[in-house]
Amino acid sequence: MFEKSLYDLIKGLRNHKGGEDEYVQACLRECKAEIKLQDIDKKATALLKLIYLEMFGFDMSWASFHVLEVMSSPKYLQKRVGYLGAVQSFRPDTEVLMLATNMLKKDIVSPNILTLSLPLATLPHIITPSLAMSLLPDILSRLSHSSAVVRKKSIVCLYRLALVYPDALKLAWPKIQDHLMDEQEDSSVTTAAINVICELGWRRPHDFLPMAPRFFELLVDSGNNWMAIKIIKLFATLTPLEPRLTRKLLRPLTNIIQTTTAMSLLYECINGIIQGGILDGEDNVQERDEVAALCIGKLRGMIVMDSDPNLKYVALLALNRIVTTHSMLVSMQQDVIMDCLDDLDVSIRLQALELAAGMVTSDTLQAVVNRLFSQLQLASSQDSPDSGAVSIPDDEESENWKGSSGVVDALNMPNNYRSEVIHRILDICSQNNYSDVVDFEWYVGILVQLIRLLPPSEVHDYGHDPSSGGPEGSTGGRATVASRIGSEIRSIAVRVKGVRLEATRAAESLLLVDNRSMLFPASSNVGDDVLGPIAWVAGEYADHLQSPSRTLQSLIDSSTLSLPPNTLQLFLQAIPKVLIQVNQSCEMKEAWKSELSLLLARVLDFLDALAAHPDLDVQERAIEFLEVLRLGAESLQSETEGVPFLLASVIPNLFAGLELNPVAASAQKRVMFPPDLHLDEAFNDDLPGLFQGLGETTQHHVIQQFYHVADISPPSHKLPQPHEQLTAAEIQLDASYQNSLGLTADYPGTVDKRKVYRKERYRDDPFYIAPLDPSSGMSTPHHDAPHASSGDALDIDSIPIVDLKLDDDSIRRGRRDTLGSRRVHTAAKMEVAADETFGSEESVALSHSAKAGGPGLKRSLLQVDSSGLGHLAGANDGQSPGLTGGEEDTEMRKAMQNVEQMRLRMQRASERIELEGTPAEGTLVKKKKGKKGKKGQATDQSGDTKRKKKKHTSE
Amino acid sequence: MINAVLVFNNNGQPRLTKFYTQLDTQTQQSLIAQIYQLVAQRPASACNFLPLPPLLSQGASSGASGPSDAPTQITYRTYATLSFIMISTSMESPLALIDLIQVFVESLDRMFENVCELDLIFGYETMHAVLSEMIVGGVVVETNTERIVAGVRNQEGSAGKRKAVQAASSGLGRGALPSLGAWR
Repeated sequence: MFEKSLYDLIKGLRNHKGGEDEYVQACLRECKAEIKLQDIDKKATALLKLIYLEMFGFDMSWASFHVLEVMSSPKYLQKRVGYLGAVQSFRPDTEVLMLATNMLKKDIVSPNILTLSLPLATLPHIITPSLAMSLLPDILSRLSHSSAVVRKKSIVCLYRLALVYPDALKLAWPKIQDHLMDEQEDSSVTTAAINVICELGWRRPHDFLPMAPRFFELLVDSGNNWMAIKIIKLFATLTPLEPRLTRKLLRPLTNIIQTTTAMSLLYECINGIIQGGILDGEDNVQERDEVAALCIGKLRGMIVMDSDPNLKYVALLALNRIVTTHSMLVSMQQDVIMDCLDDLDVSIRLQALELAAGMVTSDTLQAVVNRLFSQLQLASSQDSPDSGAVSIPDDEESENWKGSSGVVDALNMPNNYRSEVIHRILDICSQNNYSDVVDFEWYVGILVQLIRLLPPSEVHDYGHDPSSGGPEGSTGGRATVASRIGSEIRSIAVRVKGVRLEATRAAESLLLVDNRSMLFPASSNVGDDVLGPIAWVAGEYADHLQSPSRTLQSLIDSSTLSLPPNTLQLFLQAIPKVLIQVNQSCEMKEAWKSELSLLLARVLDFLDALAAHPDLDVQERAIEFLEVLRLGAESLQSETEGVPFLLASVIPNLFAGLELNPVAASAQKRVMFPPDLHLDEAFNDDLPGLFQGLGETTQHHVIQQFYHVADISPPSHKLPQPHEQLTAAEIQLDASYQNSLGLTADYPGTVDKRKVYRKERYRDDPFYIAPLDPSSGMSTPHHDAPHASSGDALDIDSIPIVDLKLDDDSIRRGRRDTLGSRRVHTAAKMEVAADETFGSEESVALSHSAKAGGPGLKRSLLQVDSSGLGHLAGANDGQSPGLTGGEEDTEMRKAMQNVEQMRLRMQRASERIELEGTPAEGTLVKKKKGKKGKKGQATDQSGDTKRKKKKHTSE
Repeated sequence: MINAVLVFNNNGQPRLTKFYTQLDTQTQQSLIAQIYQLVAQRPASACNFLPLPPLLSQGASSGASGPSDAPTQITYRTYATLSFIMISTSMESPLALIDLIQVFVESLDRMFENVCELDLIFGYETMHAVLSEMIVGGVVVETNTERIVAGVRNQEGSAGKRKAVQAASSGLGRGALPSLGAWR
């Protein structure tokens, strides 16, 4: 048998263009056979080939035992292959590692420097707490090795050991410190030590303060730029703790800034001054101002000097850091920053965009937004000649880049950049509850025009699944641009009374079917997400509509039927509201009756079409309104003169109540559950038994009866009758539906019946506001609460919402407004209602962040978790570890660490599950497209708010 | 610290992958693909910093200020047909990373004498050795080209160079390589 070398493999790969996959599979089979041979040479060769193939995504985790075998080879070059295999292929779940402890120990203490370097470089990749514990003494002994190479690698290796096994730091730190303080030490070892301390520094800055003089000495005297950069980075974390350091550092740093020729060092000096808060103190103002001016001047120089885009980028990065604290200084550089918004490089533009967002004031807001806006306009006007071509081919793009030297109209605007710009515009305007927006009419105008400029496709270029994105789905955790614009219009309409008319008119113009081709981007339906919120606006503020009947016709247009379910839900909610408005506005006319019945018929047609919609929420709302409006239509026919009472008063009253105020997203969560509400308890444990006793014929009969009775008589008369016939068993049937045991959703009778049941069951439930109260027959109990008879089961005090304590002043103000003190705002600055909530704002934020902690806590990919170091008490006073915290504390910390480890292990286990489906070998791992879990979370949350919205609108 | 070092060619084929944290192969591949996407879009005149690809931006905290463990910087540099990428946390200086890539490439150049993509394909093990002389466990341990090259030469004797020469003289690949500079 003739084995292939790596060389042959690569050669073969190149000769099998097109058929690589088969070739690789064949090779993998060969490797698998070869690696099992006794011959260590062949084993090593096979392993090398596997490592090479692993780079292309071919799994080799099955070979981990053979990796160990090659690692233990006596020949150095083979050993090296083995260690490389371990680095590249061992994962947290690789179990054979336990077998390797003794071999690693042996290699670490090997007299051969080359051999002993291998484990030092490999351990950081594969280290586990238990392995760290048993190898620690051996690695510690390597710190005093005669070779500088070994010493520096050991220092770094110990750092990675300490990450998984923090106690290692206690023993290692004094020795590392010795190396650092030793002036005779090889400079590369010192640099390695500084690099490690730099990594540790921000976690435990207090421990390194005593060494500041030595750092200072190294910074001034070493002349090594690599090290100087790191020391400055380190100082940036130390200065906030020790104000005296700033004074000492100021001069040498200024000196470096003025003299150095190395741009990287210059930049890090400026960055260090900014991040270290050296500009922040109160004393010595004059000197600080000089330094600030010097830094900003240098940064400006880096931006203006357009020869090097890297400098431009990092300068903007630094300005972005400074903008929160020294916005004045930064806004003085507004001219160059704004120029960067037109830069050819997307990275630079994104930084400038962030900076622009951080720097706007109410004076500059319009200018900044207008500039961004015209940029978008230019870009989209370039698109249109290509007959709506979504993307320009790559080569053409790069020609654009070369051909134009700084001409704005050649700007490359990828779609995701465009949506980023729109996101930023919305961020800029809406920050601090619109405090920077002066002219809201202008803002509404901008919003409407932005819809036209929506990028053709919001799907991210890198593998977001468009179908699972969904309308409320998120790209990177954010709502889509389109739905954000819609929400902004709604938010303005709700919050700013002064422009409610304009906002509603804007919503109306967007809704009209005739306008859609003009106002929405051509050849795509990305604008559809806007429609939901604006439909709500049109419905809620229907009295501001210019032409309610045209709006209604657009709402019930046949094109509406194809909208996504969550948009449809909002449309459905708007239809009756607009209908009422039409009704009221056309009462004066002669032929009102025929017009109205015609309109009603059309609306009923539309609702009928949705009554069997696959989305349950749409279905339910459609049927709800269908029934109510049917009653209206009947009463219209029976009534001979005048508008029937039902249409004139009852239905309008369904929607006319208190004005809706913006409610903080967290407020709903703070509504207490009533103690006697048990959602987890079963109504009846003997569910199957109940089913057995249920006669099929009666069930059928009851359903049929409901379905037909509902058509003839108003529900207020009908309700008691079926209720009497209902046995407990049938109510259980309802529950069983939710357990998906019984009936299917698309049987319209069930839905209808369920609705009636629910209405009945919820009649006395304070959390559910029934559309029609059978006892009064004319109005909702909620609005009639004060007049309700005292014996009524409805106890208004038990409704927690009434008990809201509104602590916030601004809220109270907003509340007073809505409750009719009718203050007139003549001031130029319009009043913007703030979110309503109750309880303290801080705890809201807290609970919010805790909520967000779920996905947020999830570590970023590639991240090394150094949090263990933060828990470690006093590495500095290494000999007395327990003293600072006391014994209990140490125990607690250990327990916490254990929990954390468990959590990580479980997390990893859950992440591994995906892999298990694939065979152990020979499969090309498929590239994963996006992450689904995140999305689920996002939709869940938006679902929450939506539910709330619904609750409001149904009030 | 440095979280990963990647090298791929202008078709997105990986030439070196080194992750300083353990990551499953599947995710590694999709991360490489995402970064390649980003690099491929960029013209030669653009700066050497990439925005975070979706896989990385998901976990990154929004509060960019202050140091953290999360990788926030991606620095890349393209030489002829190859792109070198370093993913790092904010504790690394962006400009210094560009220089570090330069040191890496210079060291490779010294090892292989006029390095080209083909050398790196066949001298794949040597490339790993060079990198592990420079970076251990995500921390930079050496930036001096001389010492890096000396360290690798020590390991390989003349083996590393011989392999590369053998590959180069075999004449099978040179012609197949896209001509220098076609990418950039």
